[in-house]
Amino acid sequence: MIRKTAAVWAGKATGTLSRVSRRGGGTTLPGDVARAIDPKVLSKLAADLTRGSIVITGTNGKTTTARLVTWLLEGAGHRVVSNRAGANLIFGATAAALDKAGLDGKLRADWGVFEIDEASLPKAVEEIKPKATLVLNLFRDQLDRYGELESIAKKIESALGALPEGSTALLNADDPRVAEIGLGLPRPPLWYGLDDTSVAARELPHAADARTCPRCGASLHFEAVYVGHDGVYECPNHDFARPKPKITAKHIKLEGFERLSADIDGTRIEIPLGGLYNCYNVLAAFVAGRTLGLEPTYISERLRAFRAAFGRQERMEFRGRNLNLVLSKNPAGFNETLRTAVELAHGKNFLIGLNDRKADGTDVSWIWDVDFEHLKGKARTVVPAGNRAHDMAVRLKYAEVEATEPETEAGRALDSLIKATNEGDTVHLLCTYTAMLDLRAELVRRGWAKPYWET
Amino acid sequence: MKKTFTVGWLYPDLMNIYGDRGNILTLLKRAEWRGFDAKLVELGRGTTSQMDEVDVFFFGGGQDREQALVYEDLLEFKQPPLERAVSNGAVVLAVCGGYQLLGHYYLTAEGEKFPGIGMIDVKTEAGKKRFIGDVVVDSDIETITPKTLVGFENHSGRTYLGPKARPLGKTRLGHGNNGSDGMEGCLQGTVLGTYMHGSLLPKNPHLADYLIRSALIRRGVDELSPLDDSVELAAHERILLRAQHHQHR
Repeated sequence: MIRKTAAVWAGKATGTLSRVSRRGGGTTLPGDVARAIDPKVLSKLAADLTRGSIVITGTNGKTTTARLVTWLLEGAGHRVVSNRAGANLIFGATAAALDKAGLDGKLRADWGVFEIDEASLPKAVEEIKPKATLVLNLFRDQLDRYGELESIAKKIESALGALPEGSTALLNADDPRVAEIGLGLPRPPLWYGLDDTSVAARELPHAADARTCPRCGASLHFEAVYVGHDGVYECPNHDFARPKPKITAKHIKLEGFERLSADIDGTRIEIPLGGLYNCYNVLAAFVAGRTLGLEPTYISERLRAFRAAFGRQERMEFRGRNLNLVLSKNPAGFNETLRTAVELAHGKNFLIGLNDRKADGTDVSWIWDVDFEHLKGKARTVVPAGNRAHDMAVRLKYAEVEATEPETEAGRALDSLIKATNEGDTVHLLCTYTAMLDLRAELVRRGWAKPYWET
Repeated sequence: MKKTFTVGWLYPDLMNIYGDRGNILTLLKRAEWRGFDAKLVELGRGTTSQMDEVDVFFFGGGQDREQALVYEDLLEFKQPPLERAVSNGAVVLAVCGGYQLLGHYYLTAEGEKFPGIGMIDVKTEAGKKRFIGDVVVDSDIETITPKTLVGFENHSGRTYLGPKARPLGKTRLGHGNNGSDGMEGCLQGTVLGTYMHGSLLPKNPHLADYLIRSALIRRGVDELSPLDDSVELAAHERILLRAQHHQHR
């Protein structure tokens, strides 16, 4: 116990120092420090929770879904610990728990809601011992960091296979790679999925999204495609098919970036979030909420008043322009935000921010799997930005989309945007993770948007 | 009548992990912008149709699971028409997994040998460390300017060239074929193999034109009209600047 208390003290002190010195939000370093003193500090703190935890993983949607689940639990009067600022490694989860721990080293909260990077899942599940583990999807992402999708899938498989009795896996049945994992588990998971072909495409938009049958190797046949390779699929030799989801979203209505609504498990849900990808996040949060004991009518009422997670989708006004900031970090995510911006929100003005720092992925070749062709003939202004703005300019050229000069500095990119647009215009800023941070920091410097650890 | 230019994409659904569509788009658009009727033929599993019409074949990289699925099909369906096309002057660009499969064999860490189709005189062995990062090559191809090629590598295979293949160039930055002899890629007749993606051709428009030109010689085209490559070369230049920065660190 003494060791745990010492670890908590040291970690908390580090967090305070980091915030005071303005070196960011102090979102992971305290975890580092505390774990060095007591490697078991996270499992000890997690055991203090009066109700338990949920762990959320997947390539896209972790932060938004975790925020939704936290929103649901807090609204029902629970005290919630969550790693909010996208700090989703084991150190980030530890830091979040430390932040809510008292000086006696005890964590005073009811629920833990942890978004966890796919590769860290086995360790997180082992330490946190969650009541539920939610797997949203498995897309190709940041190949330079992880190697191949298969090695990530294997990690998730081993984590879910080791879940203790009484711990439920909540899985997206529409994702063939997630389904493959779930079908091999010792205890059956709870499957969820979309059920509305009116919002689906008939075929995979990208050859790169193709999936093969895990048993016979044949290319999977898709009856409906919702996002990336998520949809309704079947092996032509009947060796593998989408598991039947227990909880579904039907009658989906999408209104640009403004809102979406759907019948989830028979309850009408309406929420101020846009895009089909967010419909998956809302469905996942509903499934999580039900599993953690919340009533459908309460969930429906609470979600109406939701606010988006930091930078995932954020609106601000800057010199008379309405900026819509949307995180777009890999092909599946980018194609969806682009589709929402062009087709549903009828966007005309864009800033595309591409960085190649570690958190973005140092390999930018994935931009060639994003359909920037959607912008052709529709966009009036496109500003390529970020430290790889020049690569983005080449991508746009080959999509035959007119663009301004590439701008690698956030300030110059914003200036270029202001020059090319008029007051009253709406501008969609689609950015990778650190490109978004850079842009946001510049907006803060110019007196707009609050620093992120205050939101 | 418009002259045609045809790109054949080998296994677009399975061997397409590193934004390989960029290479396809670059070849097609650069032909189209010059007034050619540019066509794409997708060569998935089980098909050989139109392979004799292809000017440039592209063969990309895949994950292990997909690469194993491709291998049998390559031997059964694609190898004979591919060899025929190349002997008639068609060009092949093979990246990463595709590069390895066109060689003699791939030797795994456990000592298991997977034969390739032996179109190029190279062999590959599994290595421990994965080579990941920017690549800058000083190319040995005489007819291209600038002489540099830029890309991104991500592979654990170590590829060694036999006497019939010559390297694409020397690495100024990155590990290249095997991390030991300072060479990247291979060129053997009209077959070009490399570990560079990123995608390779968009930021190397001069290499894209070299491939198009090499394939069209047999159709009596020996000169391509110039295009404005300032956007592509600015992106190329950015990588060269970063490479200098790496060296000074």
